[in-house]
Amino acid sequence: MNADSTSNGTLLEVEHLAKRFGGVVATDDVSLAIESGGVQCIIGPNGAGKSTFFSLLCGIQQPDAGRILFEGREITRLLPFARVRLGLGLTFQTNRTFGELSVRQNLAVPMALRSSEAEERYRYALELFELSEADEALAREIPHHQRQWLEILMVLAGGPRVVLLDEPTAGMSPEETSHTAKVLRHLNATGLTIVVVEHDIAFVREVAERVTVMHYGRIFADGPLADVTARQDVRDIYLGRA
Amino acid sequence: MRILELIGGNEDIGRGPLFWLPFALVVAAFLAAPAWLTEFEAYNISFYLLNIPMALGLCLLWGYCGVLSFGQVAYFGIAGYTYGIVAGNLVGLSWGPLAGSLAGLAAAAAVAAVFGYFVFYARVQMWIVPILTLVLTLLLETFLGQTAGYQWRVGSVQFGGYNGMTGIPSFQLGSHVFFGFSFFYYVLVLVLACYLGCRMLVNASWGKVLLAIREDALRTEILGYDIRFRQWATFVLAAVLAGVSGLLYVQWGNYITPTQVGLLQAALPVIWVAVGGRDKLLAVIFGTYALNWLNYSLSSQGNQYALVIIGGLLVAVMLFFPRGIVVSIAEFLSPRRRRSA
Repeated sequence: MNADSTSNGTLLEVEHLAKRFGGVVATDDVSLAIESGGVQCIIGPNGAGKSTFFSLLCGIQQPDAGRILFEGREITRLLPFARVRLGLGLTFQTNRTFGELSVRQNLAVPMALRSSEAEERYRYALELFELSEADEALAREIPHHQRQWLEILMVLAGGPRVVLLDEPTAGMSPEETSHTAKVLRHLNATGLTIVVVEHDIAFVREVAERVTVMHYGRIFADGPLADVTARQDVRDIYLGRA
Repeated sequence: MRILELIGGNEDIGRGPLFWLPFALVVAAFLAAPAWLTEFEAYNISFYLLNIPMALGLCLLWGYCGVLSFGQVAYFGIAGYTYGIVAGNLVGLSWGPLAGSLAGLAAAAAVAAVFGYFVFYARVQMWIVPILTLVLTLLLETFLGQTAGYQWRVGSVQFGGYNGMTGIPSFQLGSHVFFGFSFFYYVLVLVLACYLGCRMLVNASWGKVLLAIREDALRTEILGYDIRFRQWATFVLAAVLAGVSGLLYVQWGNYITPTQVGLLQAALPVIWVAVGGRDKLLAVIFGTYALNWLNYSLSSQGNQYALVIIGGLLVAVMLFFPRGIVVSIAEFLSPRRRRSA
């Protein structure tokens, strides 16, 4: 989609990843490669295993089988904070900014591991999301969409190389969603790799280069946006026919 | 300049000349104590002040980091007893009390480091932590309570069971023994150092991360922090601060008993911190000083219900000022938070 976001190698790779919760298979033999510098959307109906997949990538959950590689290095057993220090960033499905802390305090928390490039990216996003590092308003008091943006900024403040965004536009108006997409496209153009779990197909069309469809914990389809969204079986899944 | 910035930061009550000027006046009034206090009164005030480091430690641990501990008096006791043993065996040597003080703090830190390692690196969370800390305290009290026999001694110092360890040397630097006004100044300087040091810590990035851990530990970890280490280190620091209070206590009264690490005493720091306002250092100082003064005043007038009154005050504060009296007043007086953007 963006001229600058050319694929230049695999940044994050999972091989045969599996996770069960009792009798429920949340992630089932998932293998996927995230290309460096791309925007990849993961879509699928509720309960398809998308958020569990993110949890496994970040180390919040440990997989029952399979392995995860970041730039070719295995990180399957690394603790979450160590993965973040390598360059992974995550926003949660439900907003997890620090509600009782001010915007200023929220933005001061992330471990600053920024390169000058990442610093520039963060400042740029701060401006586009119209938030201030001096804002003393409590995070729980600001409008919902700004709180969503705040969480993205907190992740960017850590200087990640790939950000995993779990439904970043949930609860936003169409205008706010479109603005979010615009900012993410700009960030991607600076070289940031972005992986998004999203339900809003309009948003997916706006940002994604590549789409992965998950269904019952497995990868049902994976490929360029136009190819995947044109498939009838993918549409059937989204409409609950499969 | 960096130090001044950290001391003057906004993670505690009070900023700018409107705060620091009255603060300086209060400190000046304390420094001028001989002009308006008898030595006996100054000695009593030393007692109200000496518990403040322990309360500040609990404030960091509970108010800023979100980890409630009922075990601060254990480290108070460990430091006090260790000082008694070391300084008591070095009587006659001018450096004995200093060696005892360092040994006391080291012992408190070592026990907290081992205990905290198992608690935080095992990711024990929520209400299990206060229960474990309380168990440690009660174990220590039980152990110390059965040390009445003559065999329970280290060198020439007896543990003394429930009669306690007596004859503990006062603090001494060179040939100067701290007593009366000089002890008052010694406590005052240490309390001020602890307060300003804690203020620097909470205004530094370390303090901001502590607040984040209190709010959401997982979110903080997914921002790149090893929260186990942060919680452990704060726990050890709080233990050292409790140790400072323990040292001052034995240097003030020259004795310590297992009651000092018992259930009743274990609850008191939690009450001092909660009544003032657990997430602000200055509030904790006010709360600790006021409640120690109240408890002493009621007890010295023969009031048998001093602790009942203190407990009732805690209940009332929890009901009507859940963030603490001082914090509630400070928020009422401060201009409402405004968005600057």
